[in-house]
Amino acid sequence: MKLKIKFIPYEKTDGNSFGRLLKDLKKDTIILIDAKLNPEHEAELIKRTMEHVSEKFSGIELSSIELATKKDSASAKLMDVLFHLTTGKKRGMTIIGPAHIIRKIEKNPEELMVYV
Amino acid sequence: MLSQVRKIIRSLISKIFGKRSDIKIGLYGPVNAGKTTLANRICMDWLGEELGSASPVPHETREIQMKEKVTMEHNGKSVTFNLVDTPGIATKIDFEDFLKFGMKAKDAKQRAKEATRGVIEAIKWLDNMDLVLVVLDATEDPINQVNITLLGNLDARKTPVLIVGNKIDLRKANLERIKEAFPQYDAIGISAKEGRNIKEFYGKLFDMI
Repeated sequence: MKLKIKFIPYEKTDGNSFGRLLKDLKKDTIILIDAKLNPEHEAELIKRTMEHVSEKFSGIELSSIELATKKDSASAKLMDVLFHLTTGKKRGMTIIGPAHIIRKIEKNPEELMVYV
Repeated sequence: MLSQVRKIIRSLISKIFGKRSDIKIGLYGPVNAGKTTLANRICMDWLGEELGSASPVPHETREIQMKEKVTMEHNGKSVTFNLVDTPGIATKIDFEDFLKFGMKAKDAKQRAKEATRGVIEAIKWLDNMDLVLVVLDATEDPINQVNITLLGNLDARKTPVLIVGNKIDLRKANLERIKEAFPQYDAIGISAKEGRNIKEFYGKLFDMI
């Protein structure tokens, strides 16, 4: 099986783009997004995924990390707030893959380990 | 946005006219965390009847189930609410997982289909809740995407949350791991099956309503 990885900028992800995203996921593509999806988008993606679950497509594995942590200094936190205000996105990364390819995603506060 | 406005109006009404009796308390969480077992425990203790059937086979609850007018008493005071048990939230549902429990292929496929609808319904109902009990299996690693997405959505809706670490009767249970993962939330360990720590749980729940 050929494994494909597609990079999508956060700006191109919203509720309307999930149909296209799921089309890719069903074609054995792993999606990388350059920011953390917000919780409402994550819930919407799960809902849309459930509509697509079939005998051939069992769903997705999804995980994201946020670069900002509680241990950050006040200046780092301020930078994150400014970044969020100016770009509308949270610094981090999201990985989404078809559940039949991604066995699990291990997450610690600063990194993601993907087992395929 | 609309749900938040609705919530503010409800809260204003309750402040003016006293406690409401149509408060909706939702049981949410990942699959097989013991949501229905806890719902049954609450309903048996305060209504004398169960709410739904619990099973070790995943996705036993595939529809929203509600018991209306559950009246709970604590320290001489009482409060009435509607208890809503929801299907477990998952990002994947593979019908082959059900075959391992001896289910026939046709039944497993049907169960998977119903389970997907259940997840969608559970997410839709998040907007209707006044308080949510996030039920987690205390023997499992709490840092997973379903829990993070669920808590993030409740936080965005400003819905009060009590995390319930279930299955503390099992040796592998670790409530501290849950508290460390989600320090911003109040968490309590219980065994819904055996009733362990259930009085303390009712006390916390009563204080939050």
